Amino acid sequence: MQMGDAAEDFISNLPQSILENILTRLPIGDAVGTCILSSKWRYKWATLTQLVFDENCVPISNDRVPVEKSLVKFITHALFLHQGPIHKFQLSTVHLQSCPDIDQWLLFLSRNDIRELVLELGEGEWFRVPSCLFNCRKLTRLELFRCEFDPPLTFTGFPCLRSLNLHQVLVAPEAIESLISSCPLLESLSLSYFDSLDLNICAPKLKYLYLEGEFKDIHLESTPLLVSMSIAMYMTDDIAEHFEQSSSCNFLKILGGVPHLEKLVGYIYFTKYLSIGDDPGRLPITYNHLKVIELYQVSFEDMKEILVVIRLITNSPNLKELHISGSSNTLAAIEAPDLDFWEKECHADCSFKQLKLVKMTDISGVPHEMELIKFLLSNSPVLEIMSITPCTFVTERKVNMLIELVRFIRASPRAEIIFIQN
Amino acid sequence: MSEGAMAVVKPEMKSYIWVQTTDGSIQQVEEEVAMFCPMICREIIQTGMGSSKNYAISLPQRVNPAIFGLVLDYCRFHQVPGRSNKERKMFDEKFIRMDTKKLCELTSAADSLQLKPLVDLTSRALARIIEGKTPEEIRETFHLPDDLTEEEKLEPLNNVTDDPRIRLLNRLYARKRKELKEREKLKNVEVEEEHVDERSVDDLLSFINGGNGDSKGIKTNKNKKKNRRRKDQLKDSSTNNLNGNHKEFNSLHSAFHNGGLNDIAVSTPHKTSKLQCSTAVTCSPKMEFDDGEIDDDLDPAMKEELDREVEDFARRLNSDWPQRMQEILSLGQDRRLVQVSMNGNCSSRRCTSLDSR
Repeated sequence: MQMGDAAEDFISNLPQSILENILTRLPIGDAVGTCILSSKWRYKWATLTQLVFDENCVPISNDRVPVEKSLVKFITHALFLHQGPIHKFQLSTVHLQSCPDIDQWLLFLSRNDIRELVLELGEGEWFRVPSCLFNCRKLTRLELFRCEFDPPLTFTGFPCLRSLNLHQVLVAPEAIESLISSCPLLESLSLSYFDSLDLNICAPKLKYLYLEGEFKDIHLESTPLLVSMSIAMYMTDDIAEHFEQSSSCNFLKILGGVPHLEKLVGYIYFTKYLSIGDDPGRLPITYNHLKVIELYQVSFEDMKEILVVIRLITNSPNLKELHISGSSNTLAAIEAPDLDFWEKECHADCSFKQLKLVKMTDISGVPHEMELIKFLLSNSPVLEIMSITPCTFVTERKVNMLIELVRFIRASPRAEIIFIQN
Repeated sequence: MSEGAMAVVKPEMKSYIWVQTTDGSIQQVEEEVAMFCPMICREIIQTGMGSSKNYAISLPQRVNPAIFGLVLDYCRFHQVPGRSNKERKMFDEKFIRMDTKKLCELTSAADSLQLKPLVDLTSRALARIIEGKTPEEIRETFHLPDDLTEEEKLEPLNNVTDDPRIRLLNRLYARKRKELKEREKLKNVEVEEEHVDERSVDDLLSFINGGNGDSKGIKTNKNKKKNRRRKDQLKDSSTNNLNGNHKEFNSLHSAFHNGGLNDIAVSTPHKTSKLQCSTAVTCSPKMEFDDGEIDDDLDPAMKEELDREVEDFARRLNSDWPQRMQEILSLGQDRRLVQVSMNGNCSSRRCTSLDSR
């Protein structure tokens, strides 16, 4: 066995911090594999503070059981041989679901200053998060996919948590609300695929909000610092019924307390949700920082939804980008009885002074859609691009749409209308 | 800009900072370029150095002149504020195209200058080089010595130093090497010394059970030589004692199976009348640890013998205890016996080789 010339070896003597910087950028299998390079490298990987595991750590096989076993073995060994604190642990694999080893790993991590934990498990039986997770006081980021989350009664929140992402997580509704409000530093919240959730959010430092699922009710009670919001609301019969009965002003419930909002994205029934309840009338709040609005699946046969859109854009003086997608191809939309609404609601003096880009997609050419386009074109003095993508199954109306479009007055001499055909 | 701490600013010309590279030469560097390095920036601001030739800032040791030139190229490009992200990325991609050795030097230099963006850039490049390569390829790229044993390479994740058997092997091998080395030395230094070891058994026992330090180890080696010779004479009668030592084996046996043993050391009950008991323990020469360099002094024959012994031990250690017991008992008289001392407290003990040569 030769002892290599120490002067020749140009990497092993770099400071440990640099070597860890390099090893962290490698897939964990390669990083751990450096232990057989030479005697100096034997345990260089063992002090890495970030461990990211996925299926690629172990040899590929079509058979689920060996992959599962070798992955469990690999992770257990790696944790066992590891020295020092572990700040980030990520496990993303469809091959593991609930298994007792995960409990042990979490116990080990909870004793090693874990700060970021991402657990993305497979579709089978959902993993039930053990109580040791709730003792991880230094946690700053938590992401759970397909788990059962049941905080004990003594749980007082994660004092350092900045980012929370629960995706397909089984948790009692009250538990979510109290979890959110007991994490005082929470800046980013993402909840997806919850069933019939009635959500009240109190998070004074919250900046980023992402919600997707069947929400019965959403109330942003205290989110004064919110910068970006993306909400996708699915509908079920329960929820539809609930919508009918609601009387409070949903618009203000969600958008009433977010003066610093910069980006708003709404999907599916979001606009409908906003339209329910009393009309807010003249809004008490101006969205001075709102630069991007994206509202998808807006139903142009519902005057109330159109009103929501108008209210939003007229209260955002610094709006730069607007994306609207339609979802109307019903007879009602074509009939469009209330066309005088546009003259009534839309004052001549409202002007979108910063609006540069408008994208309209899934447009069927129904009257209200065309009126909106007309409204935008005539009130956007610096508009550069108006891009229109018709619905795929609209064939006859395309020509009519184009004929109308050509006639619209453009406030901006530089405005280009781009009609996109597939 | 203040006059004292900063370089003098001439309105028509750029201002310069004086730096001294590791080879002693002093050069001027444009101030704005040099200030891009946090370490230099701090030196200028905190100590006021760099304003003149006599007060040139000394670069850290890891920054040699050629590499410093590269660092300056990087700084010169990136300190210009108007560049787009795309331009910067393209520059970076071209910039890091260099041989691996230089890349490592550059990483080291950037780190000592605290230039984090360059550290990240070079680390990324090095990670890209390492990723996907086989260990042999990586060793070749970075000129790493291939100094791990086959065993270590085969099961890297199983060979923990906390495994008691591995630690025993470590220790035994280290001792073996030391004593073989000593043997060589003694052979060269002294002629055959007729010396009868007059010490009592108890003395020897307590000597064996007592210290762990190197000094004692060396001393032991010398004494071992004497012991060995004495043992030779006694060897013939050793068979009789083996059965008597069964008890010791049992204690070893139970100790092993008690789990939680950090060190394996077999204690020789003081009741043992003769010294030659014990487990035939040999060390594997393939277990290379910090004593790697000792190997070079041994002559091939001895090395071979050593190898064989050690291999044997390794094999034994890995098989079942009862089987091992049988083997040991049956082979005991033919093999050179090695004494291993162990006490009940499980603190580490050294291994004494009682071989005769």
